[in-house]
Amino acid sequence: MPVPAYTFLLLSGALFTMGAIGFLVRRNPLVVFMCIELMLNAVNLAFAAISRYLNSLDGVVFAFLVITVAAAEVVVGIAIIVQVYRAGRQMDVDGLDLMKE
Amino acid sequence: MVVGFAIVAAWELVTAAGVIGFRRPIYNALALVGNMLGLAVLFLMLNAQFLFAAQVIVYAGAVMVLFVFIIALMNPESDVTLGPARGSEWMYGIVFGLIFAALLGVLLVNQGLTGRSGPFTPEVINAVGNVQSVGTALYTTFLFPVEVTSVLLLIAAVGAVYLAMRRIR
Repeated sequence: MPVPAYTFLLLSGALFTMGAIGFLVRRNPLVVFMCIELMLNAVNLAFAAISRYLNSLDGVVFAFLVITVAAAEVVVGIAIIVQVYRAGRQMDVDGLDLMKE
Repeated sequence: MVVGFAIVAAWELVTAAGVIGFRRPIYNALALVGNMLGLAVLFLMLNAQFLFAAQVIVYAGAVMVLFVFIIALMNPESDVTLGPARGSEWMYGIVFGLIFAALLGVLLVNQGLTGRSGPFTPEVINAVGNVQSVGTALYTTFLFPVEVTSVLLLIAAVGAVYLAMRRIR
């Protein structure tokens, strides 16, 4: 095993950080969703790496469940975004305060 | 293996920067497709062939096609046309990035994995087959989470149909 485990974890942490920064910085709700996907992917990488280096299958199963939950989350999230768009609101996460009214 | 990992890791970081950096949402989506395909290659390196297939089919296939369709349908504005930025977003982003860089530094100090090692070495998994071993774990040890996930998917499908039929002001 020439590549040590912590390099995978470092890459996973770097990807998660970039996703989180994008989540905080971007204002288009679709791009914010993509950044969430980036973070979930980074966590999946950590799961798969730990699963491989500890000779276990639990991490692979967790990553599979994360993929499933992410697919469900994207479906509902995009349905809400499309509804807001059809209501003629501005596509800016800072301007989305429908719940306040 | 090391060289391949370095290439894929660099590709992952570049495409992740593209997801954050490009101004037009369609470019963000395409960068994310590249990122997910690179991640699938990393799963192959980690001897997780089942995750590789799931990643390509579910993420790079289904989820990203949904994103690209919605972007094509809505033609959302880029961040530039959304009006003046508040300026505080970048401050939050930089603060969060610094906190996480510190956490990654801790990871560099503690390099070893100290967990208890399990029985599923690559030889054992490859003797049975990767999909077979993951499927056995899914439908024996993790049967209840799998069933809960199926209920979750059903709720998501019903919720999406409900949201699509309903008109909000």
